[in-house]
Amino acid sequence: MRRVLWLLPLLVLACNSEPRPRAPGVLFASVELRSAWVRNFNPLFTGANARWPTRAGIYECLEVYTPSTGQWNPWLATAHAWSDDRKTLRFTLREGVQWSDGRPFTADDVAYTFQLMKKHAALDAGGVWRFLSDVSAEGPQTVAFHFSHVYIPGFSELAHQPLVPRHIWEHVEDPVTFTNPDPVATGPFTEVRVFRNQVYELGRNPHYWQPGRPAVDALRFLAFPTNDQANLALVEGEVDWAGNFVPAVDRTFVSKDPQHHGKWFPLFGSTVFLYPNTTRPPLDDVRVRKALSMAIDRERLVDIAMYGYTRPADSTALNDSYTAWRDPEAASGTWVHHDEATANALLDAAGLTKGPDGVRRKADGTPLELEIEVVGGWSDWVRAGQVVARDLRKLGVQAHLKTYEFGAWYERLQKGEFQLSISWSLDGPTPYIFYKWLLSPRTVRPVGEVSAANWHRFGDAEADTLLSAFETETSPEKQRELMAAVQRRFSETAPAIPLFPNPSWGESNSRRFTGWPSASRPYARLSPHAEPDSLLVLTSLAPREN
Amino acid sequence: MPYVLRRLGFYLLAAWASLTLNFVIPRLAPGDPASAMFARFEGRVAPEAMDALRAAFGFTNAPVHVQYFTYLRHLLAGDLGISYAYYPSRVSEVIGTGLVWTVGLAGCAVIFSFALGSFLGVLAAWNRGGWLDSAVAPALAFLGAFPYFWLAMLALYLFGFGLGWFPLRHAYSHDMEPALSFAFAADVARHAVLPAASIVVATLGGWMLSMRNTMVATLGTDTLRLAHAKGLPSRQVMLRYAARNALLPNVTGFGMALGFVLSGSLLTEIVFSYPGTGYLLILAVRNQDYPLMQGLFLVITLAVLAANFAVDLLCLWLDPRTRAHA
Repeated sequence: MRRVLWLLPLLVLACNSEPRPRAPGVLFASVELRSAWVRNFNPLFTGANARWPTRAGIYECLEVYTPSTGQWNPWLATAHAWSDDRKTLRFTLREGVQWSDGRPFTADDVAYTFQLMKKHAALDAGGVWRFLSDVSAEGPQTVAFHFSHVYIPGFSELAHQPLVPRHIWEHVEDPVTFTNPDPVATGPFTEVRVFRNQVYELGRNPHYWQPGRPAVDALRFLAFPTNDQANLALVEGEVDWAGNFVPAVDRTFVSKDPQHHGKWFPLFGSTVFLYPNTTRPPLDDVRVRKALSMAIDRERLVDIAMYGYTRPADSTALNDSYTAWRDPEAASGTWVHHDEATANALLDAAGLTKGPDGVRRKADGTPLELEIEVVGGWSDWVRAGQVVARDLRKLGVQAHLKTYEFGAWYERLQKGEFQLSISWSLDGPTPYIFYKWLLSPRTVRPVGEVSAANWHRFGDAEADTLLSAFETETSPEKQRELMAAVQRRFSETAPAIPLFPNPSWGESNSRRFTGWPSASRPYARLSPHAEPDSLLVLTSLAPREN
Repeated sequence: MPYVLRRLGFYLLAAWASLTLNFVIPRLAPGDPASAMFARFEGRVAPEAMDALRAAFGFTNAPVHVQYFTYLRHLLAGDLGISYAYYPSRVSEVIGTGLVWTVGLAGCAVIFSFALGSFLGVLAAWNRGGWLDSAVAPALAFLGAFPYFWLAMLALYLFGFGLGWFPLRHAYSHDMEPALSFAFAADVARHAVLPAASIVVATLGGWMLSMRNTMVATLGTDTLRLAHAKGLPSRQVMLRYAARNALLPNVTGFGMALGFVLSGSLLTEIVFSYPGTGYLLILAVRNQDYPLMQGLFLVITLAVLAANFAVDLLCLWLDPRTRAHA
């Protein structure tokens, strides 16, 4: 008997878990949450799950906009100019730029990239061929974009398009399903040194056009399937750069090594809204929308739902990347301030009177019941929804929070089959896209039809006139005036109820690398999710000398 | 032989039924994959691009029966299609990244747990009332009551994070080149200890108890009394007569456990960032990635059926009565 028991396998394994020394100059980044990596570096198809930094470090674009400075940085193009009739945009390309295989980068490559997008509509994520009529190379360093109609906001789509080499892609059979395993590009990191299911590593581009850059030798990516795992690695100092949501970041991360651990959560993310379905009474009444908005205690909301990482939205709903656009008059609207008395008065005026039982009723006597829809498991939004529901109940509105699985929630949102729903907003370098999809009748689709935004189904003709004028305006002063008027229109009509702008999450560890962007050195956003800002970061970092 | 053929026919029918369910169920879910994919960009892609996205993913409005036959035809050709969540990678390639690790980790853990648990059960029944029977069995049953991802988290915290004996994540060290070397094998083993142990500890008790109970019943039969009376060596009686007869229910259970290995270790994999198929399954569901979901369900279904078929054959060998009825 004894003898048999001895046969129990004993797991005697070397139990030293000393971390192996890390190769100098290899930067560990944590951007995507994945259990295993799949090799895909296709920069053209946005629907493809291309590995980071395909569009922010391997392939490059003509100019790079960064909201932290409000500047367009010349990149593969050194200059651009509109023709007098504003129907042609010419970019002057930088001289001496080479692809990572040593071939020169020319205007022909740029034109070819856009022709590819014309031929394969799925590659045209920005919809540039809605306003372009032709793209042509005028000599090796000049590329001309011919517009079918004047559309100034199209500039950002053109300037941010990742560019691919013609001599490689013209041999690709289907650029939509091409996984591009060995990218040839102009960016700082182009060589795939290691690619395994748990780790991949990108090495430097030997022909990079910025002399002496990048100073980082390689980027290494470990697969972390969940935020918890990624945060654990970050706290342990295993990861140098991350863009994770970290709860109580000062206590859990920064204070572990205050000298080196940095976080920067500027409010550059999309604004989170409580969308009222304006096709359903009484939500079609601006007084009701403003009353609901005034019922919400946003200070408490951002504390509870967002760990105090953000601030309450103002009456323009703009995030901090649009600070230069913000119109003080539009921002002074009081309908986003917590004011129960006024909210009650507005509801009374709208005919939603409170009965002796404390419940507000519609004209036909039915109680005012509102359902707030959120995605189950998106804990920040669920908490936000709980706060909103509680605040609305104080007005006598029967508000309930209802959570849905993502697919179901999104379908209801897109088809306009909801009463109140919490969701994001659209962004761009100017507030044009943001307001167009909040206010323009051109973006309204009928209820039941899938719509990618303007879920609240609201159109305002006056705002649309201003937005249309903005599309053809090149003068910055006039643009600002028009946008200020749009903001006032937004504040007057309150088509959707802004809650708070989202932070853009970014954490850095300067123990091994220096040159990180921060609040005091905001040359780009720290968040690696903020494409294409990462091009600026990746070319500014340097290994710490010691 | 006809018995085997009949069983095979049954399994083929079951396979067809599950393939059909596999086709139907995802299509009953609300939402559509292009929208789900689009949503992931949270406004960073122009809404106008959505129709183009739909076209790229090959969404057809073909009648359902046409889609169904296309699906069957592709399956027979071994073509699982292109994953949406990992577009444009092939489903077979995506599943391939994780399958070997899942099969390796959970497969070994289940086999090990079954073998050790059954063996302990035999010993416990043979020495009824001994310390193995009165102390170890209840202790293991107690541990078995915990969900194994919870044990996994506990193990991760104690032995990985607290004591630092074992790595916190992944199947091997990231600076290690996968190779057929002793160093690599040792590294893989070291990484597998905690996740495998959490599965083994949680399931050992079940195997042990069921083995013990059947064994106790078997020991009371006339056959065994006769074997004793004949003066056969006690080890031979214990293993060849009692254990072999008592093993049947456990073997049946083993077939089912093997099948669920692929889906069951999902949470353990997530706790340890193990690069298996579990996370793929979650991702597929979250992104409404029908081809990937179907591919994974197919692999799981076929594994369950194959395991059960193997168990049928094993029972045939273990239990002469099944042969007699055939």
